[in-house]
Amino acid sequence: MEKMIYSILSAKRNPEKLNALLVGMKGISDSDLCAVSFDEITAIVSDFKRADLIADRSNAIEYAGVIENLAQQFTVLPMRYGSVMESAELINKMLERNYHEFQQNLQKVENKYEFGLKIFCDSEKLKSELRIKSEADIQTPEKPATGIKNSVYKDYVDKKLKEHRLEELMLTYVDSVIAKITGYLDRLNTINKFKKMASDTNIIDAVFLLDKERKDALIHVTEDLKNQYPVLNFVLTGPWPPYNFVEIAIK
Amino acid sequence: MHDNVTDQSKDITMLELLDRVLTKGVILSGDIVISVADIDLVYVGVKLLLSSVETMEQLKAGKPIIL
Repeated sequence: MEKMIYSILSAKRNPEKLNALLVGMKGISDSDLCAVSFDEITAIVSDFKRADLIADRSNAIEYAGVIENLAQQFTVLPMRYGSVMESAELINKMLERNYHEFQQNLQKVENKYEFGLKIFCDSEKLKSELRIKSEADIQTPEKPATGIKNSVYKDYVDKKLKEHRLEELMLTYVDSVIAKITGYLDRLNTINKFKKMASDTNIIDAVFLLDKERKDALIHVTEDLKNQYPVLNFVLTGPWPPYNFVEIAIK
Repeated sequence: MHDNVTDQSKDITMLELLDRVLTKGVILSGDIVISVADIDLVYVGVKLLLSSVETMEQLKAGKPIIL
């Protein structure tokens, strides 16, 4: 029977704890969970009918819930939703093929949490403030080098130039916020990933991997940052299993 | 106001969860193709551009997710 795979973990230190945990949990569609192991690496799976797999919200949440519960007790490598293999035997062979990669990744994320930080703003208001602050810099010269005088072309060029400068100002501002954040996070020894300008309002979309015991310190850092940037809206989410820090495409 | 902020935070957290479970994590490459139907994937209560939303658009367009 086909198997849905939820996560990869190492239960070598406490297999009894894993068995007890699995007995008390259910997978998608109320299915039973079980472990398929190769040496020290274990895949948590459930029986699965392909017809049952609909990527709707409730299934995805159930799937994430299983990973979340496992992550509270073990270091896990979360699988992407919809990871299915034909049989337990094939999963066993897959674990064997990818054994070292799984071990390396488990070591990388051991006793760590992932957090997400999204920073939102009213981008028009922020741009307006940045423009006022840099008014002198963004003024178009009286006599542009092109020699184009008053014309629709000049208006167009001026408009585009101002837009471009405003975007540059915005990016410089975002870079300065990221530099400030990384300055704080260096003290927490985090691994960081930043995405700039994810949308008009979401100017920074970041994920951090940090030691579990430093969770409170991260929350304090975020509070400090909020106070320093009152025009920005900080949304910290987590702790999450390390979804963004497992870079494996298994064979 | 407070309720609104709380609701938005919940929406963001839900999007974050769906974004992770649908588009991150260990990828099983190979012959697994999931056809998706009956999409009720993400409730977008806040104006965000997240990859989960992009995934939703792909799914709405009837494109299968190939893992």
